[in-house]
Amino acid sequence: MTISVIARNTFKEAVRDRILYLLLFFSGLTIILSRVLAVLTVGDRVKVVKDVGLASISFFGALMAIMIGTGLVYKEIEKRTIFTLISKPIRRAEFLLGKFLGLVLTLAVMLGAMTLIFLVVVFLHTFKVEFGLVLAVVFIFMELVLLTAVAVLFSCFSTPILSSLFALSFYLIGHFSWGLETLIKKTPAGAGRTFLRILYTLLPDLENFNIKTEVVQNLPLPAGLWLGAAGYGAAYTAFVLLLAVLVFRRRDFI
Amino acid sequence: MGKPTAILPAVVLSLAAVAGLKLQLDGLPRAKVPGAGVVYVPSGPYVKAASFGYSSFLADLIYVWAIQYYGSPEVTDRFDHFGRVFGIIADLDPRWIDPYLTAALIAHYDTGNAELALKMYDDGATRNPDQWIFPFEAGHYSQMQLKDFERAKAYYQKAAEIPGAPDITKRLFANAAFKTMDYQTSWATWREVYETATNPEIKKIASNHLYQVKAAVDIAALKAALTHFQEARGRPAENLEELVSARLLTTLPTDFDGKDYVYDPKTGDVRTAVIPWKR
Amino acid sequence: MGNVLELRDVRKTFKLGFIPKPREVLKGVSFDVAEGEIFGYLGPNGAGKTSTIKCVLGLIFPDAGTISLFGRSPLDPRSKDKLGFLPENPYFYDYLTAREFLDFYAQLFGVAKGERSERIARLLKLVDMERASALPLRKFSRGMLQRVGLAQALINEPSFVILDEPLGGLDPLGRKEIRDIILSLRDAGRTVLFTSHILQDIEMICDRVAIVVDGRIHNQGRLADLVSEKILFTEITVSGLAATDLAAFGECVSVRDGRALVKVYAEDKVQGVLDLVREGHGRVHALIPRAQTLEDLFVDTVARS
Repeated sequence: MTISVIARNTFKEAVRDRILYLLLFFSGLTIILSRVLAVLTVGDRVKVVKDVGLASISFFGALMAIMIGTGLVYKEIEKRTIFTLISKPIRRAEFLLGKFLGLVLTLAVMLGAMTLIFLVVVFLHTFKVEFGLVLAVVFIFMELVLLTAVAVLFSCFSTPILSSLFALSFYLIGHFSWGLETLIKKTPAGAGRTFLRILYTLLPDLENFNIKTEVVQNLPLPAGLWLGAAGYGAAYTAFVLLLAVLVFRRRDFI
Repeated sequence: MGKPTAILPAVVLSLAAVAGLKLQLDGLPRAKVPGAGVVYVPSGPYVKAASFGYSSFLADLIYVWAIQYYGSPEVTDRFDHFGRVFGIIADLDPRWIDPYLTAALIAHYDTGNAELALKMYDDGATRNPDQWIFPFEAGHYSQMQLKDFERAKAYYQKAAEIPGAPDITKRLFANAAFKTMDYQTSWATWREVYETATNPEIKKIASNHLYQVKAAVDIAALKAALTHFQEARGRPAENLEELVSARLLTTLPTDFDGKDYVYDPKTGDVRTAVIPWKR
Repeated sequence: MGNVLELRDVRKTFKLGFIPKPREVLKGVSFDVAEGEIFGYLGPNGAGKTSTIKCVLGLIFPDAGTISLFGRSPLDPRSKDKLGFLPENPYFYDYLTAREFLDFYAQLFGVAKGERSERIARLLKLVDMERASALPLRKFSRGMLQRVGLAQALINEPSFVILDEPLGGLDPLGRKEIRDIILSLRDAGRTVLFTSHILQDIEMICDRVAIVVDGRIHNQGRLADLVSEKILFTEITVSGLAATDLAAFGECVSVRDGRALVKVYAEDKVQGVLDLVREGHGRVHALIPRAQTLEDLFVDTVARS
């Protein structure tokens, strides 16, 4: 109950943040401009629109998650609004979860808006509503939920600028998992390789949420990817949020 | 409060779940799309502009990706944009030597396209005229894989002109010249090597080659004279002295060591008295 | 009547700075707040007043000692059900309007929707902020924020209200209004704990006080017990007498416009001054006995610590 109150209030706060609309505007602009880019391509024009659209939604969505997420808890501590809040019957974990869910809700709405623009632009090309694209966006959303959790975690103890850098690093590391894989193949068996293997398993692999190529090329998704990715996202998000609760639990608010 | 003890195990548990699911997801076959994403990567200068000063880092990333990409046999049409991909790496970091060499190897071994391989070397050479390795490797490739000694000769010459080229370049050039029957150049170059060599081994090699070149020239002259003799007299010469008395030659050439050439009147074959490299 | 709040030997050391330098803020604080009283918690700046409050609220975790709020630990959310809190400076969400702000906290307490709007209206009227109910908080002045903050502290009809420097930054009229509200809370059977360093206000309304200096409680108890009614000195303003004559009786503080202000310490000497006036045909303009005030006790305590 308290969680939903905090979540709804966070949603209200995020939705009144102008930066969100700036990013939404640029995302929409990029999607619409992809139409221009499509004219320059030889061959399958829609592919360009679809690729740019999904990339734009992914990119600007990530920016939204990071820019708002990293300020979420930090602002409450910095502006000391957390004093009044903790004096109410609310657990610190409930506060964190509420903030997180509020932002996730905001992202869902923003993503929905971007997807709508996207589907319209695609429709103007193909005169079809492509639900595969919606599926790709759902996967993107799962990735952004995880990214939000990471932003919130860093927001608990770091300034927005540092938190943004950390969250961005998480995002980049998550997309270069294949580099680590290549490295493991080249490393001779031994302690070093085992260490790298452990690192590889525990570091985020955000490519699991990337089905853009499959969707745009109309390839079938392997069975189990849906559930596997959702489960992976949920487990990793839970891990990150639990870390945040751990960090936040015994913190003195001076 | 029940919370304190519950959190830590929960953290460990969630991490275990993460690991487990990750391993499971790795097992899923994800369709690698042929040429995926490479269709409209813009040309190098645009990528360079967009890289905001991190062009060499970007080059590294693309190179590492390319190695993996071109190493995946399941992507059947991955070579469609081979030239462009490595072109982009070259545009981003033109002074980086490895990608050109690797690209040439990939082109040769994976596609068998010799022209593509040589193009890679040429690109490297164009952008790095101070690097002897490019014409050197190209010469080597032409010689060993294509057996095209004309090209090899041209490449080796180019390489030899670049300061820092190893000594062997000159010798390879001389050898290539020999193989293309450019005996004058070959002789001149081997003489140079012979005179400047400080290593007795190399002097020996040079001397052997000079022997060979001289032998080739002399034998060609002898054979030409023998043919003339045959046409004029209607019969093969009995020995080489006959050629002198017939005024087809002023003197009999001797080999590099001063020894006579051996003529077999029955076969018309002229050869050296000794095996060149066993002198 | 039980104790709403009990602190026993609460200690806290902060480690501040990049190279942690320990600073002991609370050095064993113990006091009780009984049900239905107005408790004043005073001390100079930096004494540890706000830190104590933060320990009570669960914002800070004490290194040692126990705190019992409604018989529970401050970390138990249930201990806050009947608690109201107003922080020292207004720290509120500036993107919400006053009404939304109060609604948010009402929801946190689980107040039903119908009841919420009624309660909000009532509280806004109490703190005289009705006209600003639809204004975003970022447009509020300090005094307005203080009032709306008080409304927020009362949103759950708490039985115990903690106010951290509630009278700071208010004009005399505002201070009177808040004082009246606090008194009315006590009359309604609620308990109030407030920190301040404006001693006149404390003197006016508190039942019991605790003086904290440098992390330790130096004086604690009923106001009446702490501050004796003994007369310290009497200030007499007279005219028509020579200052030298007055010197025998007391300290001549000032002479202006022909009037002399004398500080007489001994009670019997007061009569002597009056006799002198009568003999010299002078006039007594004012005679004010000064008893020990809270300020005196306070200054004394701080000096001694």
